[in-house]
This record gives sequence, C-alpha cells and structure tokens, in this order.
Amino acid sequence: MNTRRQFIQQSVGAFAGFLAIDSIFARAARAAGAVPSPGSGARTLLVVNLQGGNDGLNTVVPFGDPDYYRVRPTINVAQSDVLQFDRSLGLNAKLAGIKALYDQHRVAVLQGVHYPNPNLSHFRSTEIWQTAAPETIIDTGWAGRYLDDAGLPKSNLFKGIAIGPILPKMLVSNQTDVPTVENFKTGAFKGARDEQASADQILNGAGSDYAVQSPYLKLVQEIEHDANASSAQLPHLVAGYKPAIEYPQTPFAQGLNLAAAVIASGVGTKVIYVSLGSFDTHANQRATQDRLLEQFAGGMKAFYDDLAAHQLDGQVLTMTFSEFGRRVEENANRGTDHGTAAPMFLIGGGVKGGIYGDHPSLSDLDFGNLKWHTDFRSVYATVLERWLGVQSAPILGGAFDTLNFV
Amino acid sequence: MSADAQPAQYRPAGTLDLSTALDEYRGQWDSRRAAHLLRRAGFGGSPQEIENAAAAGMDTTVARLIHFGADQLPAAPAGDISYDMRATGDKTQRRNAMILTDLWWLDRCLRTTDPLRERMTYFWSNHFTSGIGQKGITPQMMVDQYALFRRFALGNYAELTHAVTADPAMLHYLDGIANRAQHPNENYARELMELFTMGVGNYTEEDVRQAARAFTGTTVDRFTGQSVFNPRFHDDGRKTFLGRSGDFTGDDVIDIIMTQPSTARFMAYKFLRAFVYDDPEPELVNALGDRFRGFDYDVARLMGVLLRSNVFYSQRAYRALVKSPLEVTIGAMKTLGATEVGARTLQAMVAMGQIPMQPPNVAGWPGGSLWLNTGTYLARLNYLNQLVSFKPASSDQMTTMAAAQLVAPPQGVDPGVLYAPAGQLSSPQAWVSAAKPGDAHSLAASVLELVVQGDATIEQQQDILRYIVSDGVGNRVALNGENFEEKVRGAVSLAMALPTYQLA
Repeated sequence: MNTRRQFIQQSVGAFAGFLAIDSIFARAARAAGAVPSPGSGARTLLVVNLQGGNDGLNTVVPFGDPDYYRVRPTINVAQSDVLQFDRSLGLNAKLAGIKALYDQHRVAVLQGVHYPNPNLSHFRSTEIWQTAAPETIIDTGWAGRYLDDAGLPKSNLFKGIAIGPILPKMLVSNQTDVPTVENFKTGAFKGARDEQASADQILNGAGSDYAVQSPYLKLVQEIEHDANASSAQLPHLVAGYKPAIEYPQTPFAQGLNLAAAVIASGVGTKVIYVSLGSFDTHANQRATQDRLLEQFAGGMKAFYDDLAAHQLDGQVLTMTFSEFGRRVEENANRGTDHGTAAPMFLIGGGVKGGIYGDHPSLSDLDFGNLKWHTDFRSVYATVLERWLGVQSAPILGGAFDTLNFV
Repeated sequence: MSADAQPAQYRPAGTLDLSTALDEYRGQWDSRRAAHLLRRAGFGGSPQEIENAAAAGMDTTVARLIHFGADQLPAAPAGDISYDMRATGDKTQRRNAMILTDLWWLDRCLRTTDPLRERMTYFWSNHFTSGIGQKGITPQMMVDQYALFRRFALGNYAELTHAVTADPAMLHYLDGIANRAQHPNENYARELMELFTMGVGNYTEEDVRQAARAFTGTTVDRFTGQSVFNPRFHDDGRKTFLGRSGDFTGDDVIDIIMTQPSTARFMAYKFLRAFVYDDPEPELVNALGDRFRGFDYDVARLMGVLLRSNVFYSQRAYRALVKSPLEVTIGAMKTLGATEVGARTLQAMVAMGQIPMQPPNVAGWPGGSLWLNTGTYLARLNYLNQLVSFKPASSDQMTTMAAAQLVAPPQGVDPGVLYAPAGQLSSPQAWVSAAKPGDAHSLAASVLELVVQGDATIEQQQDILRYIVSDGVGNRVALNGENFEEKVRGAVSLAMALPTYQLA
C-alpha cells in the first residue's frame, strides 16, 4: 500500500510525474465519460493580454513619420531595426515571429484602437476592456457573457480556460465557472488511498444544513465541485497531445503550449485567456518592452507552428489587447506614461492579413495622447459575429460595426 | 470602486441594523467567536490561543491585541539582502535574497505574539502597495517599508500617508524618484488619490497634474538608499489643488486630502472589507468613516471600535470573507503547531495566487472571490494535505532558512524532503488531545473542532467519521494505536478541504 510518506516524495519531488499519479478524482473522471473527438470547424479564440499598458508606438513603429523620432529621441526603434511592412510602418525587431506570420498573411494589425473618454487608470481601463463597458461598472466579463449563451452543454467544464493563477474579469460570468490552469503540472488533489473514498464524498457532496450563512459558501462549493471534475479530466484530455515543435522556455510560451494541447484535445474550448507583462514602462522602457515583445513573438510563432503541424491553425484566432497605449512623448526616465490608443494584433489561419486603419497622428494629439479611431467593441463584435458566430449586441450591450479582418 | 475588481455580489444576506452596528457586542462569547476574532485580527489562532481568548473574554482579548508589547522577533532577515535588483549579478544570490526576505516575513506572521501588528502590516502593505524585486526595489527597501508599516500598524493614518510618501520603496514603485519639476511624473499623485486616500470620482485629471508638481523633488540617494529632498528638482510654483491655491508641497497636498470626507470613507470601506465583510452597506461605510475622522485618523481607536462591534460578531460577518493564501498557510501551521515556516510554503502560496510582498499591481490583491478558482483551490488542498502529512525524516534533511539550501539541495537529498512545507509540527495526538482513545466519534468531533470550530454539515461529519472507520475499499477498520496517527492526519486533511475552512 502506498504510504503517505511515499506520496509526499512522489508529488513534490517529481512534480513532472503528475500525469502518472493516481488521482483522487478518478471516480469523477470515469463519471465524466468519453472525451469528445475533435470536431472539424470548431473554432477557438485565444485572447492575449499585454498587461500593464503596452507602448503601441514602439510595437508597430511609424518610422516614416519624422515626428516619431522627435517625440521619442532616446527610446525610438531605429529605422534600420524596424521589420518593415512598407515605407512608413513596421514592427519592432523583437517581433520577428509576428513578422514571419504576417508574411504568411496570418496577421491583421488594427491601428488606433481604444474607446471614448479614455481612462488612464490601469485598473479601470483593464476592467473596461474586460467587461466591454466603458460607461458603467458591471460584474461580468464580455467573454463570460458569451460563454453563458454559447449553447454549449453545461457538462462541458472547458468552455473557457484561463491560463495562469488568476481568473480574469473577462471570463467572469453568471453561470460558467471557467477553470484556471497554471501549466501541465497543475494537478488534482493528491492523497493517500484510504482517503480517496471519503474525499470524493467530501468534495462532491456537501449537505445543506450549514449553521453558517456565508455569502461565499455556495461559490466555494461550486468551485470545489468543478475543480474536482475538471482536474480529473484535464490529464486525460491532453494525454494524446505531443507538441510538434519545442516551445521557448518562457511562462508565456509554456502557457501557449498548454493552450495548444487543450485545443488539440477537441474538447470544444471556445475561449482561452493568457497574459504577459508587465508592460508598464514608466522608466527604461526599451529593455523591458523588448524582452516582453520577444517573449510574445517567440511564443506566438511556436504556437502557430505547432497548430499548423496539427492542422489546427485555421481554427484558432488570437486577439491581443492592452489596457492602453502610452504617452506619445517619452518622459525624462527613458520611459513613457499612461496613454490611450494602441494597435491590436489578430493572428491565425482564418485572418485576412494586412494593416487596418491609419496610424494615428503624432502631432494632432489629445492632451499628449493619440486619438483613437476604432472602438475596441467593433473588434469584439467582429470576433463574436464573424468568428464565433453569435449575435454581438446582447453581449456588448449595443450594436457595433464589424470589421473585415476575418 | 474602479480599483476594485471584486464583483459586488458578496454582501451577506440579511439586513444591517445601523443603529447598533458599531456599538459594543454584549452577546455570547465562546471559542467559536474567539476563533473568529483571531482569524480576522491575526492569521488564525492556535488551539491554545483560541482557548485563552475564549476564557479571557472579548474586551480583554481585543485590548491585548491592540496594546502590543515589545517585539522579540528578528527585525530583518539573516544574511546579505542589499543590492540593486536590476544590477546584473548572481541570479541565484538575488533569488535567495528575495526568498529569505519572504520567509522572514512569513516567519513573523507565524511566530508573533502580537498578531494584530503583523495583520495590520499586511493590511498596509496591501494598501500602500510596493513590490519586492520590481522597479529597482531591493529586499532591504522592502524590509524597511514593512518596518514603517509595523511602526504605524495602529498609528495615525494621516501620518503614515506622509511617511510612506517619502519611503524609498514607494518612491521607486510609483516613480517618485523620476518626479522632477522639469518632467513631472504623475504616477504617485494619481495612485495616492485613486487607491490610497479618496478613491476615484473625488478629484480631476487637473488635480492629478497639479499634485504631481507638488510632489516633485523627493528622490532616493543612490549611496545611502535613504530618501532625500532636492530643492533643485522641486516645482515651488503656485498650484491649484481641490479648489485651493498656494505654493504647495507634497505634504500640503496630503494635508488637503485629509480634510476631505471622502478620504475617511474610502478608508472605512477598506477596513470593513478587510475585517468584516465584502461590499459593506454605504450607510455603514459612512458611519465608520465619520468615526475615523472624529478620531483624527487614529487607527488604534478605529480598530478598537470595529473589533468590539456588534457588526463584527454578527452572523452576517461570520465566515463571510475568503481566506487569502497567507491566512490559509499561516493559519494551518498555527493549528498544527508548526514552529517554523518552510521553503515549500512560498511555492504553495504562489500556486494559490499570492506571492508574498509582490501584489499583482498597485491596487493590491483584490481578494474575495478572486482568490478562488479551480486551480488555486486545488493548490490549497494539495498544500494543506502535504502539510498535515509532513514528517521530517531528520533534522539535517529538514528545510531550514539557510539560503544555500533554498535553491541547491545537496546531492542525494530528495528535494521533496528539502522543500518542506513547514518545520516541526506538534504531534497528531496533541492536535486532538480531547478525543477519547479508540472512540471514532469523538475523534471526528475533535478534528472538526480543531479545524473549523465545528462548522460542518451532518453529511460532512459523517464523511469524516466514515473515513476514520474504513479502509477506503469497503472494509471496516478499528481505531487503534497503530493506525491512530495516520487517521488523525487524514481526517485533519479532509477537514481542511471543507468549504468552510476556506472562509475566514
């Protein structure tokens, strides 16, 4: 019999052996039944949060505009370093992976995206992008509302997945508990054999005669149930997947590797969230932003190469966002302060590659910030209607024009 | 609350009686209420501390919590922790310094005899946020900042706001060091108003710009690491801030902020959310805010009222908050008689979504429902299971706080043992000393009293009992000398998986 002592050594000393460890949730896994087979045409949206406010000007660089070198005297990307789209616009050199995908017509660059009355607070602006509600404060996220109405069976625990430790507000919903998964090592509750029968009961059942009336009790019970079930299923889901290429050893790329595994399982996940940051470059911007952009591009290139090898690259649309771009003029610390409009990347086999919208003017500014021309809710509407195939107005609280990138 | 990602749906059911909410509680006093107080005013009580508080009574216990004595714990981590985090250097040494500093802080939380002081230090660190290792903040700066929070734990909030404005870690974190007359940097001015004092909606963008000018000139001396005011970088011109005009300094701006009713109310909201329940009623927030202002921002008086109040001991406040990973780990260690934190504690807290001394952003950890998702929930259960099961093989294999062992286990030593969840625990027999030998019912009751003060349903009690008397594959087993310890460990681990255990 497996003693508790051995268990500690197995589970801690050999984290990577997680898939081999008996799960205390074995019964729940059996109850969950067969895993659905990959369905053709099943579409997934991957949302990448470039958290902290990514500087758009040093991401998609307007090198042909002399004003760019005027407002960014020390932190500009030299023209010779720009990966050029044309004679005026190009990518930061660290985005070579994105440029490669762009050259395959798999990247749409949307310029000048933001929302009315820009808010310069990280938290409020992040909340605005995640709830798609610039004017009001609401409890649910836009993708959470989509999942509630996506017509997926309640029994599917993987309608959405957040990769990382925290559930983003984007995926908060009224009816769907989206699992958060850190990495392949994230595992089920591990315990000794003689605890398993009782643990199954304790984690699944509850009883209702609590003397306690906590407002959180129901939530905890639901999460416990879903944690129980989803953790039992995940290893089975991803067991058949082998990455076709080696992903970079960054947490971001490893998260994308997990996303690819989930997509390849065919479980029918509609929305996956992953974040990278912090892009809050008030000082010494180049070193920080370049490092992060390199992680972003390296991860995305590996992800799409892997998906292509699995013939899934046409089924996965990636959308980036950041709570805001940054101030046009650099500050005294070789950094930039909070700003407004910025570009978004839409990536995938289903994308009509190209540049969408003009680069915002660097001289006609709004209190030192770029003027936006495309409302991010138009981008969301396009993704919801043309990619996920649902009506966007109920989710976004109004009708927004759709764009042509898919 | 813009800074507040917390969904606003977790206000307790029932209605608030505002007329008596802040009056002194005169109801029943028992170990359940004592444990409630020690969960909120500390990181949970040990069985002995709960028993002592239950015997001493509410008023005496609160008085003891508030009037703390001299501190016997190390004021700083052992070992060299001072260097520039951005300097290129030995990465292992950098990592060790951060781990040492984190463990130093966790050790204080575990071993302090004045839990409210460390609890308030945690509160302030999640209010006036900074992040170790971020933006040039060295472990030493973080230790110094925590010393400031400890000094002002129950001190004057207005004075603390002045002091933290010139704190080196804060000057780094919110770019005060970059805020010069020639190029004002708005970061600190904005967060001061949005997150530290008044809250959004009580000032304009122009107020942010004007306040940023007033704060110019305070920077950190590169050689001493102390903050200095350099008049050459200060904008001594006229500013207009919140309707007043003058040649304001940063201190003037803070003094003006402290005259605003919104400031006391914003803080009252934060105190209520941290200590009583989420989404507190606006009337309660206003009432407590008015008291706070009446007390001239004396936090000791405010906490004296709050921790003795009817609303604090009401059914609506009981188990109405979600435990943070810090409360889960330290609380469990106290329950189990741990004398020392382990390196694994840190790893577990990261998996639960909380890296000590590194809030996710300047708004701090939002807490509440955002602590809980399927991933962090399993991380809690796995850590607790591992902690309860932990039996150090021998002292030389045990994790100590020696830096060398934190990242490079000696050859041949199983890292699973080295990365221990804690130092020595008290014996499982001691956890359930009230249980009658051989009596499974009394053992189940003892375990549930130890872990959740009996807050379990009949079904859950039966599940624990069934575990004690069966082998997991349908055979009945008798509780005897041979299996007793394992059964206690298993039952405690299962009890720590109960939903109520996740709630403070």
